[in-house]
Amino acid sequence: MAADNPIDPIHQFEISKIADIQLGGIDISFTNSSLFMVFALAATMALFVIGLSKKSIIPNRMQMLSELSYNFIANMLRDQVGDQGRAYFPFIFSLFMFIFFCNFIGLIPYTFTVTSHLIVTFAFAGLIFIAVTIIGFVKNGLGYLRIFYPSGIPIFLAPLIVPIEIISYLSKPISLSVRLCANMLAGHSILKIFAGFIVMLGFLGFAPLIFLVVLYALETLIAALQAYIFTILTCIYLNDALHPDH
Amino acid sequence: MKILLKAFLLTAPINFVYAAEGQKSAGLPQMDIATFPSQLFWLVITFSLLYLFMWKFVIPRLGATIEERRDKISNDINDADNLNTEATDILKKYDEQMANASQESNEIITNSKKAMLDHLETLKKENEEKVNSLISESQAKIKAQEEKSKIEIRNATLDTVKAIVSRYIENIPSDEEINKKLN
Repeated sequence: MAADNPIDPIHQFEISKIADIQLGGIDISFTNSSLFMVFALAATMALFVIGLSKKSIIPNRMQMLSELSYNFIANMLRDQVGDQGRAYFPFIFSLFMFIFFCNFIGLIPYTFTVTSHLIVTFAFAGLIFIAVTIIGFVKNGLGYLRIFYPSGIPIFLAPLIVPIEIISYLSKPISLSVRLCANMLAGHSILKIFAGFIVMLGFLGFAPLIFLVVLYALETLIAALQAYIFTILTCIYLNDALHPDH
Repeated sequence: MKILLKAFLLTAPINFVYAAEGQKSAGLPQMDIATFPSQLFWLVITFSLLYLFMWKFVIPRLGATIEERRDKISNDINDADNLNTEATDILKKYDEQMANASQESNEIITNSKKAMLDHLETLKKENEEKVNSLISESQAKIKAQEEKSKIEIRNATLDTVKAIVSRYIENIPSDEEINKKLN
């Protein structure tokens, strides 16, 4: 199929082994996906190592960039959760930087987008869901169950509201992971399809080329926006766990 | 850039090989469960490393730098405020001193003017007195001279009369007689 169709938009999401590793019968090979996870890690590390190499009162550009990202996430966490969220700042910050760099590296042609795979985003969403639920019960005890029955609702509506709230709570990790994964998948597929059109149309290819440029700008925005949305939703879920009354 | 080039070189041949062999699994690669353990395994490793890096290295250092800067800025603002109040105080003192000095100089000017006028007045008075006494003295002298002259004229007259009379008459009249006639 891929051989017949040179512009197969799905081909870019295929996982190919770089080094075959088996551990107890489980395939944990180092793949292109793993490689780009390492790239995202390296990019984040590079940003902060360079940015922090010469810490000065008046920052240079790289230091400015690292401080901007720090303040951006710190303010987001403070606005959404308050001072109680401080303990979770390393996780939230790492989460944002990792998704941000995965999304952005994926925009470069011939690369692989780690976050376009549902299993990756679902791993994050599932981890967040489990962690938030545990934090909720640890901080509030059984009082955490109040989130399924918001205050001010008449008692006769409880049989209707409580199941809806439970379903919406349980669907949080699914919506969180699918949102990010689907955005990346759809965006990159469309980019690939239009890039293929340019090749297919030959001289007339300038029309899809213009469209591709606009679309690429939009995808750049989406890459940043989805990292932001994923992170801020995590903050909101965390806030629900810490303050179930709100 | 080097890293990106490496990535391209590493992954491109593999992609080409897969493309040449044809699609192995049908449908979305995202649904290929066989790749899940590998993805999860490497995700856990890379993200744990990132978390440790952020937690142990980035956040303490960045936080310290930002805190330090905030302290420095607030210190500088404090210093500036202190200097400002100091400057205001100095300005106030200066103004006060200027006001005092001008008042003092005004006093000195008025006092010296007054003293000068007083001195002039006394000098005037003294001179007037002197002039007056000189005038009265001269007047007295003139009077005395007048009296003297009168007597001398009389005596001269007497002598003349006597001389004239003695030429024509033997009998020389006495002074009293002449005086009687003259008057």
